[in-house]
Amino acid sequence: MTGPRRASPGWPPAAYAAALACLPGVGPAWLVDVLAHHSPDRAWALVTTGELARPARQIARAGPPAAAWSETAPRFDVGGLWARCQRNGIQVTWPGAPGYPTAVAGGPSPAGVLFWAGDISTLERRPCVAVIGTRRCTPDGAAATYQLGYDLSSAGVCIVSGLALGIDGAAHAGALAAVRDQGGDGAKGGDVGSTVGVAASGVDVVYPRRHGALWREVVTLGAVVSETPPGWPAQAWRFPSRNRLIAGLARMVVVVECHASGGSWHTVEAALRRGVEVAALPGPVHSSASVGTNTMLHEGATPVRGAQDVIDALGLFERKAPAPARPSAIAHVTPRDRTASAQRPAPRTPAEARRPAPSAASGPLGALDVRVRAALSWRPLCLDEIVERSGLPAGAVVVALERLEEAGLAGAQAGWWVRKAQ
Amino acid sequence: MLATVSSATLVGVDGHPVTVEVHVSNGLPGFRVVGLPDASCRESRDRVRAAMISSGFRWPQKRVTVNLAPSGLRKAGSGLDLAIALGVMAADGQLPASSLDGLAFIGELGLDGSLRRVPGVLPLVAAVLEASVVVAPSGAHEARLVERSTVRAVPDLRELVEVLKSGWGWPELPAAATAEDEPPAPDLADVRGQPFGKQALEIAAAGGHHLLMVGPAGAGKTMLARRLPGILPPLSQTEALEVAKIHSAAGIEPGRSTLPVRPPFRSPHHSASAVSLIGGGGARLRPGEISCAHCGVLFLDELAEFPGSVLDHLRQPLEEGRVVVCRASAAVAFPARFMLVAAMNACRCGADGSPGSCRCSDVARGRYAARISGPLLDRFDLRIRVRRPDVDALLGGREERAGVQTLGRAAEASAAVAGRVEAVRRRAQEVRGARCNAEVPAWRLAQVAPLSPGAKRLLERRLRDGRLSARGLDRSRRVALTVADLAGQDGPLLEEHVLLALALREPEPLGPEAPSAPTPSPGNGPKLTAGHAAVQPAPSLELVRP
Repeated sequence: MTGPRRASPGWPPAAYAAALACLPGVGPAWLVDVLAHHSPDRAWALVTTGELARPARQIARAGPPAAAWSETAPRFDVGGLWARCQRNGIQVTWPGAPGYPTAVAGGPSPAGVLFWAGDISTLERRPCVAVIGTRRCTPDGAAATYQLGYDLSSAGVCIVSGLALGIDGAAHAGALAAVRDQGGDGAKGGDVGSTVGVAASGVDVVYPRRHGALWREVVTLGAVVSETPPGWPAQAWRFPSRNRLIAGLARMVVVVECHASGGSWHTVEAALRRGVEVAALPGPVHSSASVGTNTMLHEGATPVRGAQDVIDALGLFERKAPAPARPSAIAHVTPRDRTASAQRPAPRTPAEARRPAPSAASGPLGALDVRVRAALSWRPLCLDEIVERSGLPAGAVVVALERLEEAGLAGAQAGWWVRKAQ
Repeated sequence: MLATVSSATLVGVDGHPVTVEVHVSNGLPGFRVVGLPDASCRESRDRVRAAMISSGFRWPQKRVTVNLAPSGLRKAGSGLDLAIALGVMAADGQLPASSLDGLAFIGELGLDGSLRRVPGVLPLVAAVLEASVVVAPSGAHEARLVERSTVRAVPDLRELVEVLKSGWGWPELPAAATAEDEPPAPDLADVRGQPFGKQALEIAAAGGHHLLMVGPAGAGKTMLARRLPGILPPLSQTEALEVAKIHSAAGIEPGRSTLPVRPPFRSPHHSASAVSLIGGGGARLRPGEISCAHCGVLFLDELAEFPGSVLDHLRQPLEEGRVVVCRASAAVAFPARFMLVAAMNACRCGADGSPGSCRCSDVARGRYAARISGPLLDRFDLRIRVRRPDVDALLGGREERAGVQTLGRAAEASAAVAGRVEAVRRRAQEVRGARCNAEVPAWRLAQVAPLSPGAKRLLERRLRDGRLSARGLDRSRRVALTVADLAGQDGPLLEEHVLLALALREPEPLGPEAPSAPTPSPGNGPKLTAGHAAVQPAPSLELVRP
């Protein structure tokens, strides 16, 4: 007991549970094992006295510099860690403690000490579905994910995902949009499911940085959960571990887009080990971002086309996926900009008369528009290729694309155009 | 005895007359050159002495002092060799001083007495005050571009002295190469496929817009860029003289004996240093690549491989059309009004950059994109994607096989495109008072490029969506003006012109962004640390990293 601070009995058990998770070389299995036999404060006391030592296997792997826990643990600043948790609104739970999600309690590789910010009661109150996929997704995949997240969340399903770029981010964003549209915090009693992000870094360490705003909003409207202690960066081994947590928390894992290899496969394997149903969205056979999902379907994953398929598969018959938020726009032109076109006077039927007047770029589709749409494909095309495929001059192509985009029949991202279903 | 001989030296791209004063007197034999000579100029002592002796002349065993007046001007290069040699001979009495009257001498001496061409003959000849100039035969056709002077060319020192002493006629100038000697410019008709790239090239040429081509290796970016000089309007007389002068000062061998007609095309390798691009270096400030591309095209292939600091040097010259290189010895303004054409890959792995196709990690892609600074990217009015052409297009098949004319301009020759380009340029000069549409000042845009109501609404929508910046607005408007001009449309800009201009200026040319950026909400959640870099030392640090 030479350290500056001694573990005083003033701290709650949660502080000691958090400290246990900070021990070098500690993984969920050890934590589950120890906490099944001792209370956290008792376990910490045993660690400081050396009665609970670092597993021999780990000492061998870590090499000579690895100090025994009994040397380092007494100097550990349990109070500082606990203060950080409280300052950042981070709560701690462990097997048997209140708030510990029942879904990850048993089975193979249960969760050890869990840190969370936000409200994780939604994990108990709502059916949870993991919506995951590749970071390198196509715009179509991202759009489908967003829609899936929105629709499932609107139907009262909680979306679990990994806060990563690409599909994960789109899934969270869709669910958050649904919560916002329902007027606030769905987790507190509304009929909308919220979203829970499972992080590989500490709950208060945003990774990837680009998702700072998304991260904050998930914390505000849902929850962010992690096995990594606060303030710790994401180490490589944490990602497969995080993926197994995602699989564990959900009743079903939906893979939207996935390459031939990648982190999504870890989640799927973990789900299969736990007996969680795996579903996948079919994709174009030539798209490398759909190779993984198509393989899963071939190997027997449940095919899913949209939110309703997920709801049916889960047996949530009382819940209904809402009508698509952005309906096909041949029938409905979004009311953005309306002017009568001097160039193309539109023939107006009574049905059309009810719609707002079309703008120069948004009248009824003409022959050129149809030709340009035919030149589009599911694969993102740049303008150059559309010009070549349609055989029209670039000037005419851009006008047609604007009209198609306005009608929701084509979409562009950073200059790459894709065809959209009617 | 004292003798004076006229010559000239180069500062930047301009020649300055120099009087070489030689004084030969009794005293300890020695040879001194004063008047701020640089290293290569001071070395002329050894060259001049050797050349005189090998040409059969006597080296005075006296004290020789050479002064290069005005002595405040720094002299660089070897062009004063000939003048010094003749001055020494005249001062030593081997040559009548009167024979040098009305003549200026520019040339480097070999140790055997032969005359060699020096860089910058053209501006040097233009600078001398005398009616006749003697140069090396290899520099004669360059010197003759200066119409004011009579050019004489002799092969070596011995023959020159004979001519000067005897008053015989000057030797005939070497035969001038004829205009046909210039190889033809690569033609647009050779480019298969790429209808969009060709159209963008035409718009860039017509409006003088800077062009960035993004695409995988082998897509034909370089091929397209090389065809740009062929569709640009030919140089005017003044421009041609400026170009010839700069190239001469830079030591670029002129391909022909008449003034250049075709705009220059310069493509420095991406290992180029800042000084080599901008100009400078040594006492004789050499014009950089951007000045060599004056009135023409500066093509930067593999733009992302250029060091970022080097590229950012281009920003000011791009705005001002000239660059002022300041050194302790002098400050020199180089003209640098060029069209910047650049090509780069979409990302490091060389995929076409379409979403999902690339093997790079998100971080790697971001790092690659960040090599081009935002302000520089902003200078490109046109940013297009170029794609590897289809097999059909390569084999010249599809159109012919299907019997469809895909694009009226598909296989058009450069000459036809050049005609339209010239018409648009002429219109910009006559109607708008600018050299080209890209240089129409912002305050005149409202007057010369009014928007139709539809176009106005479109732009307003894009501005509100955040898909267009205020700076992009003016630039797109200038491009739209060129598009309308090429279409032969007068009057306000129509929606289709603006749409094409916007499509030609992709918001994010480098790799797809992450989809569906969520709107940030006022965070009342926990205080968050961002990423690895800002990770606070966790309370457990000594435990984590022993």
